[in-house]
Amino acid sequence: MALLPFLILALITGVLLNASALRNFGWSFWSFSYNFLPQTPDQSSWGIGVFVLGTALTAGLAIVFATLLSLALAVSVVVYLPSGPSRVLNMLTNLLAGIPSVVYGIWGFVILAPYFGITVEPTLRSFLFWLPGFGGPASAIGSWGILLAVFLLTIMIIPLTTALMRSALQSVPRDLVDSAVALGATRWEVARRVRFRVARRGLSSAVLLGLGRALGESVAVAMVIGGVTSLPVSLYSASTSLPSFIFFQLDSAFTYPDLLVLLVEFALVLLIITMVVNIIAQRLTQTELATATTVGTLVGREGELER
Amino acid sequence: MTAGAEGLGEEAPALTYASVSGRTRRRLIFDRFIPWLLPLAFVVVLFPLFDMIFWVAQKAVPTFTLATLTETQVGFGGGLYSMILGTLVLIAIGTAIATGIGMAAGFYTAEYAPRPVATFGRLAGNILAGVPAIVLGYFGYYLLVLYTNWGFTTLAGGIVLGIFMTPYVYRTTDLALTSVPPTQREAALAMGARPRQYLLRIAFPIALPTVLTGIFFAMALGLGEAAPIVYTAGWSSTPITGLMQPTSFLTGAIWLFYDLPPSEGTLLTLAFQAAFLLILIVLGLNVIVQLLSDRFRRRLQGLFE
Repeated sequence: MALLPFLILALITGVLLNASALRNFGWSFWSFSYNFLPQTPDQSSWGIGVFVLGTALTAGLAIVFATLLSLALAVSVVVYLPSGPSRVLNMLTNLLAGIPSVVYGIWGFVILAPYFGITVEPTLRSFLFWLPGFGGPASAIGSWGILLAVFLLTIMIIPLTTALMRSALQSVPRDLVDSAVALGATRWEVARRVRFRVARRGLSSAVLLGLGRALGESVAVAMVIGGVTSLPVSLYSASTSLPSFIFFQLDSAFTYPDLLVLLVEFALVLLIITMVVNIIAQRLTQTELATATTVGTLVGREGELER
Repeated sequence: MTAGAEGLGEEAPALTYASVSGRTRRRLIFDRFIPWLLPLAFVVVLFPLFDMIFWVAQKAVPTFTLATLTETQVGFGGGLYSMILGTLVLIAIGTAIATGIGMAAGFYTAEYAPRPVATFGRLAGNILAGVPAIVLGYFGYYLLVLYTNWGFTTLAGGIVLGIFMTPYVYRTTDLALTSVPPTQREAALAMGARPRQYLLRIAFPIALPTVLTGIFFAMALGLGEAAPIVYTAGWSSTPITGLMQPTSFLTGAIWLFYDLPPSEGTLLTLAFQAAFLLILIVLGLNVIVQLLSDRFRRRLQGLFE
């Protein structure tokens, strides 16, 4: 009985592995060339490279921004703000966690995309053109692209990473903090030199769990990334990612057997990546706080639930 | 900024910016500066939240009437009735499955399983919670739509949604039971209770609010998720008639109508109304969870006093 979750996990992996054996895509599966020709399927190329690159770019950039922002949020709540404002801000970030990803998606597509195209991207281009990725041309199909996906992913994972980081920083033993204060450290020094160091495993685990969430997000990304399978030339380019591509291709998977198996392979790759990320995150923390804190996020008392 | 301290009878000099210099002064100024800098991150994060709710409400509310809830979408008109109904059926199946599997597994993990097995089960539960929803959806599509030859069915959607929700119910059940104070068990056993009596009469009532919290949380997640059901429940514009038929659902309405051209604007409005409704439902569940957890806290405090 206690192994039911494991059995479900094994069933999922087994079914996908079994299905992936239906067709061998050869070594070109690991290439960057993807070109599906519905009329002549034999001449199609099935490279996964573009999708992995798109996934890595969107999730990677999102986790960088989310880490910086949620570290700032967690430190302000744990160290600086009085309990009243902290509680309100926690409640609001929890609210952010509860909003469905399709809602993020439609907001990004209808409201944000025009704003990004008219204001944000030209501004970034004129100021940051010297940074690789920021100087390139605009997306050919409107303002949907990597940048917008990164923005949405960043906001979507911040509630999770903030909650995890908050509880990691709060779990630092009181004695250590008091000793640092007694030695004359300012609050910032206590945060940086004591809390960050003692909680570094918890903080890294928070980053990894956020990364896992960003890697697997399909709907919101599918709605704003553009779904173009050519190599991106800049951050403004439309692109694609593993989960969003699977989500996009429902009808095609129904029609073309080759594509059906290709999507199984994609799902397997995605499953393995997220599993590895999650296992590392679990190993980093002795307290098993992954789902606990996700629940605690909504309840607003993750520190208590862990024990 | 003063950090005055009582010396031995005589007043220690107050620590001010003027009284110190060099590195110490820089440290103190920096420490005053940071509290204004860090909370700026809240502006960055909360602005999108308000912007999103504002825009969704603005697009949805002016045309939101009772008919939106009671009529079925036909062509460019109608409302969300069939989607609301479909979502309710899907979430009911999902909750039933997740509660059954999750609570059973949670009970065994917390109370009966040997320690290595329990650790392994918890690890598997956490990994299952990290499996992307779209992978679950595609797994369900392959197994329950194609392999079984069912085609798109509400049942398949509900089952996959149940698998998606299971780890949250499982881990909260486990946590709720393991966090029951050990004194309760000692007291119960000392008074001659059997382990089963302890579990059902003592531990379970204490754990129940947390378990319910987990269930409601899983429901909120399941309601807002489109990836597992788009691939399994399919889509049907008529209200659901049976479990082996495809159905429509709220998140699917958003996914189908979000990129329609302005000429079909009424459907885009319908998508925003679905989004608005989802936000309202999730908010409602949020409030329930909050109330439950407050109650739980009070009950636990009562136990410790």
